[in-house]
Amino acid sequence: MADFTPEELRAKILEYLETKDKAKNRDIATAIGVSKREVDKMVNEMAKEGILEFLYLGTSYVKLKDK
Amino acid sequence: MTEKKRPLLDELKKGKWPSFVNEMEKSAAKKPVVNTLMDLVERSYEEKRVHWKHGGIVGVRGYGGGVIGRYCDLPEEYPDVAEFHTIRVNQPSGWFYTSDAIRTLCDVWEKHGSGLTNMHGATGDAILLGTTTDHLQDCFNDLSDNGFDLGGSGSNLRTPSACCGPARCEYACFDTLDLCHHLTNEYQDELHRPMWPYKFKIKISGCPNDCTSSIARADLSIIGTWRDNIQVNQEAVKEYVNNGFDVKEEVLAHCPCNCITFDEEKKELSIDDENCTRCMHCISAMPKALRVGKEKGATLLLGGKATIVQSAFLSWVIKPFIKLDKEDGYQELHDILERIWDWWDENAKVRERVGELIYRKGMGEFLKATGLEPVPQMVHHPRANPYFFWYPEDFAAEKEASEAGKEVAGSEVSE
Repeated sequence: MADFTPEELRAKILEYLETKDKAKNRDIATAIGVSKREVDKMVNEMAKEGILEFLYLGTSYVKLKDK
Repeated sequence: MTEKKRPLLDELKKGKWPSFVNEMEKSAAKKPVVNTLMDLVERSYEEKRVHWKHGGIVGVRGYGGGVIGRYCDLPEEYPDVAEFHTIRVNQPSGWFYTSDAIRTLCDVWEKHGSGLTNMHGATGDAILLGTTTDHLQDCFNDLSDNGFDLGGSGSNLRTPSACCGPARCEYACFDTLDLCHHLTNEYQDELHRPMWPYKFKIKISGCPNDCTSSIARADLSIIGTWRDNIQVNQEAVKEYVNNGFDVKEEVLAHCPCNCITFDEEKKELSIDDENCTRCMHCISAMPKALRVGKEKGATLLLGGKATIVQSAFLSWVIKPFIKLDKEDGYQELHDILERIWDWWDENAKVRERVGELIYRKGMGEFLKATGLEPVPQMVHHPRANPYFFWYPEDFAAEKEASEAGKEVAGSEVSE
């Protein structure tokens, strides 16, 4: 598992989502090599800050806001 | 008013018990859609076939759960119920409402839906049955404006539920209502955003009588218990006996551990508390004479569920005793719960409950991953304890020790 600072993790998530319309947290975690729990926490934080938004299509997807 | 006969539904109005058909007929006077619904139910009974299609993606802004899409598979014949979605409303802890709150809930539902409810569903939520997609957001907005929130559905934390606890029950070993409220508030993200392999249910009972049936229905059962001795009031025991209560038949004969003895001459009970499993039968049978101990807390059990991937499971003990401390925000419980979620989320297949994952991977792996201690209470079924493990390293150590002329026992799981 990769070891990122919160700022690095945030940047990695943003970088990954730039390449996708929407993604599941598990896919983000696999792509950047961290645990899903870490991604869950950071994604929730970023959603509360209005950077990301959730899409609920049977399960939860996340996307860049206004992308 | 429909002219259709419904002989099968009429059968369900017979007898001295309440009938949902009677109640639906009353509702139909206000909401004609209920007539259509009863026609459809009658047809299902005739054909022995359900006419609901489950699923479809419906919801309200910001929430991934709480609304369950229901569509009729005969929309041309039953247009009024072509869409008949269910809304789950998070119930208050212990299901304590004011009459004003219930009236408000019903008013909102009559405005936006069929007016029919399940108070309450097996999930614990107040279930509002039957509305259209167009009404969902407005209904949610009205509920929200009146202080209600949606419950869980889908692959997320389901609405935690608790027995009435210390509000009405002398047996409560901790404040079930506070814990339920606390967990609900603490895990709002987990409740409203489906991100897990499948559902996860928490049910909380204040004593081993387990009034929420958590042991059979919850992934995590939190059941009140005590770790000192049952309190015995010998004077009250004598009173029971003098009033004709048959202690031997009603209590001793039902004690699963045979740990109670009764002195007929002195009319006194004695309990071997070390061998008592806290089933609580004796306390329930003689509540004036016996009380739960003074050092109270809860047992945590994991893995209860109905049949899906595997057969139905009862929960296993994972922590025989935990102090549920309000002052520190139930920190120990949070730590355990989040470690369980992490392991389950990382390892489970889609639609695999945590009990099924333990079944597939083994309790040993679960205990190792979560750092919980293996203990004798972790029985899988009576007279078996599969939670004593030998790992390859144990065999290597045994071989090495044997060569050195020493004995090595199997190791415990935690390292």
